[in-house]
Amino acid sequence: MESAATAVHGVPGHGHDEHHGPPTANQSSRVDPQTLGMLLFIISEIMLFGAFFTAYFFIRVVGDAPWPADGDHLPVAVAGVNTAILISSSFTMHWALEGARHENRFALRAGMLTTSLLGLTFLVIQINEYVHIGFSPADHAQGSIFYGLTGLHGAHVFVGLTLLAMTTVRAFRGHFSAKEHRGVEVPGIYWHFVDVMWIVVYTTIYII
Amino acid sequence: MINPLRSEQEAFRFLLWVGAVAVVVIVVVLLLRAIF
Repeated sequence: MESAATAVHGVPGHGHDEHHGPPTANQSSRVDPQTLGMLLFIISEIMLFGAFFTAYFFIRVVGDAPWPADGDHLPVAVAGVNTAILISSSFTMHWALEGARHENRFALRAGMLTTSLLGLTFLVIQINEYVHIGFSPADHAQGSIFYGLTGLHGAHVFVGLTLLAMTTVRAFRGHFSAKEHRGVEVPGIYWHFVDVMWIVVYTTIYII
Repeated sequence: MINPLRSEQEAFRFLLWVGAVAVVVIVVVLLLRAIF
């Protein structure tokens, strides 16, 4: 007796073991598609940050403008504590992935949850800083690039938090194992990238 | 050579490396500012 699919397509012997749907996409890279996608995305992000840093250095070096603008004060200490919080979140992210690799569910779940909370804390402190900093993007070029660079980074933290939230939910549903943990690895690479960018942003904007 | 885009482990090692370089840069800049 013919199955419904066979009757529709007119292909005799079209059993359930055979491939359904479109043919498998060709893979020419040694890197798996998910990691390759994140890799290309991060490269494009580096170029985006590069454009913002170009504007920043143009104002400071070519324009020879004072940094911060006269009368303004940047909360270096608070931002320093915030930097420590964000870097700590990379350590917990690494702990979470190591947990997944070694079938340690507690480390995976606690690591993901802590990373998300530390990232959220960073974002809340950043918003609080904007509220109390005393100048706006419209006041001067220094203000524009300060909000531009830190805001661009904050947007990346928000995207990272969204990825972390999805990974955390999946971790609590038991989706990852020692063999299959790409869903932790790829957000982990992105999160470390976000932290690396913050180290550069903090060093150039707040310290130098 | 570290490729931070290859795996999370290498990305984490790269982060530590960038952090160390940033500390060195900050110390040098603060020292130069104190001297000159």
